[in-house]
Amino acid sequence: MKPFLFVLALLLSLTASFLGAQAPEPPSILVTRQLAEREGLAVGDLVRLAADARGERARTFRIAGTYEPTPNPLRLGLVPREVRLHLPDLLALTRDPDTPAGTERVSSVNVALVDPAEARRFAQDVNARTPGVFARRAAGAAGMGSIFVVLERFHYAIAAVTIAAATVFLLALTIMLVDERRETVGVLRLIGLPARRILVQVLLEGLFIAAAGALFGLALAAAAEGLINRFFQWRYDTALVFVRVTPRVAALSVAIAVPLGAVATVAASWALLRRRALRLARR
Amino acid sequence: MNVLAFAWRSLIRQPARSILGILGVAAVGALLFDMLLLSEGLVLSMRDLLDRLGYDVRVMSTDSIPRPGPDLADAAPTAAQIAKLPSVRTVVTVRTEAAHLVREGVSVRAALVGISGRPRPWTVLRGRDIAGAGDVVINDSAARALQASPGTTITLSAFCSRDDAAPPPRRLRVAGVAEFPFDTPDNAGAGLDAADLAEACAQSAEAADYLLVTSAGDPERAAADIAALRPDLLVLSNEQALGQLQQRGFTYFRQISTVLTAVTVSFALLLITVLLTVSVNQRLGEVAALRALGFSQRRVVLDVLCESALIIGIGGVLSLPLGALLAAWLDAILKQMPGLPAALHFFVFRPDALVVHAGLLAATAILAAAYPMRIVARLPIASTLRNEVIS
Repeated sequence: MKPFLFVLALLLSLTASFLGAQAPEPPSILVTRQLAEREGLAVGDLVRLAADARGERARTFRIAGTYEPTPNPLRLGLVPREVRLHLPDLLALTRDPDTPAGTERVSSVNVALVDPAEARRFAQDVNARTPGVFARRAAGAAGMGSIFVVLERFHYAIAAVTIAAATVFLLALTIMLVDERRETVGVLRLIGLPARRILVQVLLEGLFIAAAGALFGLALAAAAEGLINRFFQWRYDTALVFVRVTPRVAALSVAIAVPLGAVATVAASWALLRRRALRLARR
Repeated sequence: MNVLAFAWRSLIRQPARSILGILGVAAVGALLFDMLLLSEGLVLSMRDLLDRLGYDVRVMSTDSIPRPGPDLADAAPTAAQIAKLPSVRTVVTVRTEAAHLVREGVSVRAALVGISGRPRPWTVLRGRDIAGAGDVVINDSAARALQASPGTTITLSAFCSRDDAAPPPRRLRVAGVAEFPFDTPDNAGAGLDAADLAEACAQSAEAADYLLVTSAGDPERAAADIAALRPDLLVLSNEQALGQLQQRGFTYFRQISTVLTAVTVSFALLLITVLLTVSVNQRLGEVAALRALGFSQRRVVLDVLCESALIIGIGGVLSLPLGALLAAWLDAILKQMPGLPAALHFFVFRPDALVVHAGLLAATAILAAAYPMRIVARLPIASTLRNEVIS
């Protein structure tokens, strides 16, 4: 079956039984779920399709089923009013009356290779052998790959700014928290604990807190994932997945958050530990 | 000493934490500012592009904005009909095709615009506008690739893929170099008379992709009149076209902007609250001493509020230039999307974004100070001082 976006009048038939008695069983088509919902179409309905807005040379088809169209971020917000037909039916519907059957044009030919890894070489071979034909790998052929790459870069940039802001706040907080424990640190130094020992303790504390914060953040993200996806899928009536917390994303978040938290704690404590113990203990 | 000066002294007494707090607010504020610019940026930019075209209304076969949809087979007679309406000043037919432009063995693929009248949807940068058959204007990218300038001759091989015919190449004279509002970066483009383009495609000059209309002053009235004349066609004023785009392709960035604005404000609120709360908790003894010396409850509460206002105020002011730089960077990233006009921007400044930005930061300053203000207001003076002495 071949996807085909129609421009045309789509009319419900009068009665299936009447047409069934008058003509052979009409060819079957699939319609998108969204189109079926909008136009009140159901499996088994007879519809008339034409290739022009005036409905000339319309033909009758029976809806064999509905399908969820492949989500396309480029068409977000558009209702996918699409119908899939068998290629011969589509050619018969769109063929110019002067064009003999079998000489029609098709816009593209999809080829399944025995070895998909050979796709690039196959495309180069076809391009070299058949002037006027342009072959390319199916992956990224729709031109969407680069859009996703750009959106990914945009989100990384937003994340970088967020991390920078969070780091600054984290440093401010840790400086305040460390300052709050100045006297405790002074007493520990006075009773004989070396600065390095206290620094290790601070580092471990920072690691624990950062790890707990990162895990809490991941749990929050996992909980928000479903909500965000459900909201946007409802908003745009699409099956597109907007947010996915993958193991790679989770690992990356933890890999950034934990060392950052630990480093911020140590950096904030460093200046404090360089002071004299008596001064820290305010004696 | 007034409250603000006192709060200022409290801040500069602990410069490290104050500077870090202000920098944090500046970073968050910059992101917030950018999200506000993003929320309407594409629409404003697209409105600017449409206005620069010089037309008020477009007439198409279907509602397939931004693409014009199937051809209008009877475009020329339709344009003549529409031109007679009193609410319409001018009508032009527009045809767009792809072609190879060739000069001295160098060939570039170009997007062609064929237009039947005036105003032209391009601005001539060098040379002159097309004067009739055989003239073409090309954009800078095509001029560079072909090393062509006004007066040179190029060959046009159109591939208007509606049938199997291969129309013969056509020689055209470059009248000028022009800027096309919807040019994509590094893509060659050219504009010529619609009849010339139809001939290059070996097709009827009657057909066009869509019509562009300049109203006599009231675009909505002109659109309504055209819709009444030809109810089978889709007629959209620029505002209606923008409305459709807002509901479709542009909505993603508006939603992203809304979500990130909410997240950014919550983030700033949470962090400033924590900063102020920890800061106040460290100074409880000092606050109690001030109260014992005669500072009123209102005065110490206002001191906390002013500290919050100073951190967020200074950070907010710093966030504007930072936001402008960040917007330029993010815009450059998003504009790498294929097929986007070079003149289209995602982040566009508008004065009301500044007002909303200031309003959100002010609300954040007040809300962030609410809890620490409560701590200070309810501070038991005697027991706090006693605890301070004992500890």
